[in-house]
Amino acid sequence: MSDIFPRWTNRLPLKVAIGLILIGGAVTAGITYYCTPKYTRVGYQPIQPVNFSHEIHAGQLGVDCRYCHDGVEKSWYSNIPSSTTCMNCHNQVLKDDPRLALVRESAQSGKPIPWVQVHKVPDYVYFNHSVHVNRGVSCVECHGQVNHMDEVRHEKPLSMSFCLDCHRNPENHLRNPQDVYNLDLQISPETQEKNGKKFVHEWKVNASQNCSACHR
Amino acid sequence: MEGERLPKLFRLSPMKTIPPPCPEPEVGPKYWRSLDQLAETPEFNEWVEREFPAGASEFTDPVSRRNFVKIMSASFLLMGVAGLTGCRRPEEHILPFTRLPEGYVHGVAQFYATARPSRGSAIPLLVKSNDGRPSKIEGNPQFSGGRGGTDGYTQASILNLYDPDRAMRCARNGNQVSREEAFQELQSVVAQFSVNGGQGLSFLLEPSSSPSRARLQAVIAAKFPQATWHSFDPVDLDVHAQIASNAAGQPVMPVFHFDKARRILSLDCDFLGTEQDSFVAIKGFSRGRKIENAGNELNRLYSVEALFTITGGAADHRLPVLPSQVAGVAARVAMEILKGQSPGLQKVADGYKGEEKWITECAKDLLAAGKNVLVVAGQRQPEVVHLIAHTINQALGSVGETVTFIPAPAPLKGNLQDLAKTLSSGQTKAVVILGANPAYSAPANLDFAVQLKKASHVVRLGYYEDETFAVTTLHFPEAHFLETWGDGRTGDGTLVSIQPLIEPLFGGISDLEILARIAGMNSFRPYDVVRDTLKGLVPEGDFEASWKKFIHDGVLENSAPKPVAVQISAEKLNNAVAQFAPPQSAGGDQYEIVFHRDYSVDDGRYNNNGWLQETPDPITKIVWENAFLVSPKTAQALSLSLAAGRDPEDYKNNDIGVVKGHDVVELEIGGRKITGPVWIQPGLADQTIALALGYGRTRTGRVGAGAGYNAYLLRTSESPHFAVGAKVTKTGKIVRVVSTQEHGAMEGRPIIREANLEQYRKKTDFARNMDIDAHAPNAGPIYKHPYDSNPELKSKVHQWGMAVDLSSCVGCNACVIACQAENNVPIVGKDQVNRGREMHWLRIDRYFAGDVNRPQIAHQPMMCQHCENAPCESVCPVNATVHDEEGLNIMAYNRCVGTRYCSNNCAWKVRRFNFFDYNKRPNAYAKMDGSLMPGPLYKGPLAKREPLEYDLIKMAKNPDVTVRMRGVMEKCTFCIQRIEGAKISQKVKAGASGDVQVPEGTFTTACAQVCPAEAIVFGNILDENSQVQQLKKRDRNYEVLGFLDTKPRTTYLARIRNPNHAMPDFTESPLTMEEYIKGHNPSPFEAHGSGAHGTSAQPARAPSKGGH
Repeated sequence: MSDIFPRWTNRLPLKVAIGLILIGGAVTAGITYYCTPKYTRVGYQPIQPVNFSHEIHAGQLGVDCRYCHDGVEKSWYSNIPSSTTCMNCHNQVLKDDPRLALVRESAQSGKPIPWVQVHKVPDYVYFNHSVHVNRGVSCVECHGQVNHMDEVRHEKPLSMSFCLDCHRNPENHLRNPQDVYNLDLQISPETQEKNGKKFVHEWKVNASQNCSACHR
Repeated sequence: MEGERLPKLFRLSPMKTIPPPCPEPEVGPKYWRSLDQLAETPEFNEWVEREFPAGASEFTDPVSRRNFVKIMSASFLLMGVAGLTGCRRPEEHILPFTRLPEGYVHGVAQFYATARPSRGSAIPLLVKSNDGRPSKIEGNPQFSGGRGGTDGYTQASILNLYDPDRAMRCARNGNQVSREEAFQELQSVVAQFSVNGGQGLSFLLEPSSSPSRARLQAVIAAKFPQATWHSFDPVDLDVHAQIASNAAGQPVMPVFHFDKARRILSLDCDFLGTEQDSFVAIKGFSRGRKIENAGNELNRLYSVEALFTITGGAADHRLPVLPSQVAGVAARVAMEILKGQSPGLQKVADGYKGEEKWITECAKDLLAAGKNVLVVAGQRQPEVVHLIAHTINQALGSVGETVTFIPAPAPLKGNLQDLAKTLSSGQTKAVVILGANPAYSAPANLDFAVQLKKASHVVRLGYYEDETFAVTTLHFPEAHFLETWGDGRTGDGTLVSIQPLIEPLFGGISDLEILARIAGMNSFRPYDVVRDTLKGLVPEGDFEASWKKFIHDGVLENSAPKPVAVQISAEKLNNAVAQFAPPQSAGGDQYEIVFHRDYSVDDGRYNNNGWLQETPDPITKIVWENAFLVSPKTAQALSLSLAAGRDPEDYKNNDIGVVKGHDVVELEIGGRKITGPVWIQPGLADQTIALALGYGRTRTGRVGAGAGYNAYLLRTSESPHFAVGAKVTKTGKIVRVVSTQEHGAMEGRPIIREANLEQYRKKTDFARNMDIDAHAPNAGPIYKHPYDSNPELKSKVHQWGMAVDLSSCVGCNACVIACQAENNVPIVGKDQVNRGREMHWLRIDRYFAGDVNRPQIAHQPMMCQHCENAPCESVCPVNATVHDEEGLNIMAYNRCVGTRYCSNNCAWKVRRFNFFDYNKRPNAYAKMDGSLMPGPLYKGPLAKREPLEYDLIKMAKNPDVTVRMRGVMEKCTFCIQRIEGAKISQKVKAGASGDVQVPEGTFTTACAQVCPAEAIVFGNILDENSQVQQLKKRDRNYEVLGFLDTKPRTTYLARIRNPNHAMPDFTESPLTMEEYIKGHNPSPFEAHGSGAHGTSAQPARAPSKGGH
């Protein structure tokens, strides 16, 4: 009997299998790399309608974070300041500067400035700022060195695994609540370890890892 | 940090390219990306036009990053490169306030005190507002009368605010006019009457307790002395005040103190349900039912009624009588108590021939209780019954104890009949109607819509463009009480403030403004009117401080008037007796119809409120319509099928449970007819047909269209509450009446456990001595509970639990609606409820027990039991439902794939599945003829609600709770948003300290907060002093289906009834208990067997005691 199938089909299943494994691996690797928050979110630095530089205001001038983001200690939401907050200084400082034209116009007309949102968690996640900043988690842990950013950049992935990294080991990221807004503070690993464990114990920190903490 | 590790592995920089913003087409507001673009300089345009602007390919120019992105983004935009943005979310914008309102913090809810005006009373409230949008109504804890509870109507009234079918425009003869024009027309109409002192001008008003409105009325009456004033309310709850005023000779209002009463006799008075201020009555009544130990005394309720109401359900003894014969029963009771002092009553007493012993023993009991007796007559009963009630109270000395009389404003003199007369005679030329819907709800014999057409001007302030709108010449849209200023007085006379929580959404106008305009006041803003009224009511001094405190607290301290002494003379009673016509006895084929206020739609005003339409009636569990209720004997007499259309043949074909429908009958009385389905109601009085008001409207919104049958078509002004002489004819048709609970019996299973007081005293832990878990030894679980094998998983700070006291619960449905409001629970429509897909997280199960003609009922609120060994958690294939460290069974909606295995495994069936994205999809609409349109619901994922409706639905949602989509399971979460909110607040307060335990009483779940009976208690069971832990330690405490050993955190306290031995319908045990014992179960009151297993007497189960 002559061969029904050509010879090369003998190896075909093996080749297909290896091919699938390789392709599957590549696709998985590709998705893992390109489509996870570490890639898609980190580095997002949209252009804002007003060229507000945190480096100048929070860095050089030393304006406290809470001067503008005053709701952060009371609410889940850390608010973008109103235009009149900007005008508190800028009705005298750089009063006619064309870069602030939109701010002046907004404060006068009542039309809000359309800031582009940089940090956002999905709708099914309920994150609360006030409980974090009041309990020793500094802005820099999740937002990076904002006081050295000319334009706000998405510094950390803010994925669920990022949140869990801290929630599983809060002692690595806690600091004295008085130092929360001091983004330049350098804490050595040894100090962090010592203080962190102390805080977790004294403050009965229970960074919940249950679904109910964030997914209501 | 993680972000750094990965790139090193692949030797890539952390950010490969700077992604451009999403290349959306530039529609909408144009955001200039740079000053150059704004300036449209030629340099910039040149940059933009070149495909690769010079220097872009080599990044040599140390120009700022901004410039680079500016260039690249513009070029990418022009090249239309989509998809290179990677898996990035679209650009979203934050629009902050330009000027932050004072005291406003985004994300923190604000609470304002206000009140809901409710006919002749007002309910003080605390309303939660998010971003200026009210989303949840709570009772005002400052009001001592209600303890912070509210009723179901109040909970649902917030949805009325967001009703897309409400009146939104001013209209003249049905055509829209501008507000200015409409007000001008109002002034011109009124001006016509200023020359003749108001001759021909009539006002038709709904009852109101508002002093501001009364003040404006007085001003108008002075300005137009000839104008007539008429009060109209289809459900006349004012009758208590009217009759008391007539009898006392001064304008008074009775205030009933149910908490002080030891023996209560209700003469067709549904004080726990449909009477005025039922939430206060429930609180008072349930205070008398709290039982901590065997030594406590309970109150005792005797109920004489035709309908089966929740008062009858709570009663220890219930006598079903025809509504016209309640007077006879009352007279007999009075004769027993007054012992010959009122011989005239014999004539009335002759109207009832029936259970003599019931009446005699009841009267004896009342006599023995002396001044702690309260006899109340219902609003449907004629004057003589009310006077009998007052006379008995007086004779027994309870005036001043259980009932007090407070001075009340004099009621309006005219009524609807007078107005109809003057309209038809042409005397009335112009009518001003505030609220009310007389074209729909006026008695049928008055033909009121036709009469109204005779007037040359009909000015109306209405909430909907309804039946009366069709005959109105000038229509104003009414403002919701949450949108406007006002005031009111509660049932005991306390002054309360009504303040707006939101600007009128659709230009609504307050009744105070209309009256102020007519009165020609200097300012017709309701704000000024209310302030002026308050000026007259507070003592001299700092008015602004008084005003601020008044609107902050919501109640004015010490404003309740002191009770006055009232004497009801025997003469008044004799007069009433003389005027009373004994009823013609119904019998044979003559039936009596009772028209009653519906638990859901009231008198029709909530007909378009989806939450209320879908809330099941507490007794019949019917949703979305009314039916003609008849008793089983009556049904048999009419040869209506007892099994509600169930074909016996169906059982043979294994086609169980297919209820085909309910027989449709034609009801005819006085020449007027309506047709509708019959519903068989055990316990209803024979020869009676109960018909709820408020359905069958012809002009209503999308929710109420086609719902139910119009009882007003049969109602006449001579007999508005019950009518004798109705005839019933079968039509042979069948219609499906939908109810949420068709299985009405527990069949001997101890789901609700009740005992009589004596039985309880003999064995206080009887409730633990029932069911399998009391008789089978519990060897303990095979596997160690995770809380025990990993103790760090269990929080030592909070463990949440709930206890529901069945002795207090009356089944009023306030908790059901509160949960729906708090947790964004959608409504599904009649067709879906028919398939069992109602979404209520909390339901109230109602069971009948005993003889089908004289059953007892029991209510049980049923929500997720939050079992420690939850059967639902172990079967979820994607681990969407898990247990948290504080004892809650958590639902992660985003993980759920919709297997529904968890609901399958839940023995209490408290999990609800969202089948059709009920939030986004319109409900199956009802057509006017009552049939259901299959509706856009079945057109699949493309069906959408109308934009206005959708926007309004979104506004009503609670932002702290996820809005669930199709395909996701949901259930009671113990209000996890409130728990987390309280924990977060406590941690914020604690800051750098360890004070993280939430103190008892800081917060509670929505259902517990709103319950007027204080039946639901929630709290931290680790706190030994918490109320919930105290309740769980009581020996009445038991678990439903406890033998499954799932260790539920929600436990129930058994109900204790307090029957009278001497009564003829006395039974040794409550009927559910008799069923249990009859069902081959050993009696829980005796020791079982040889003591091999005594009582299961487990103390309040501490959370998972361990493997064994």
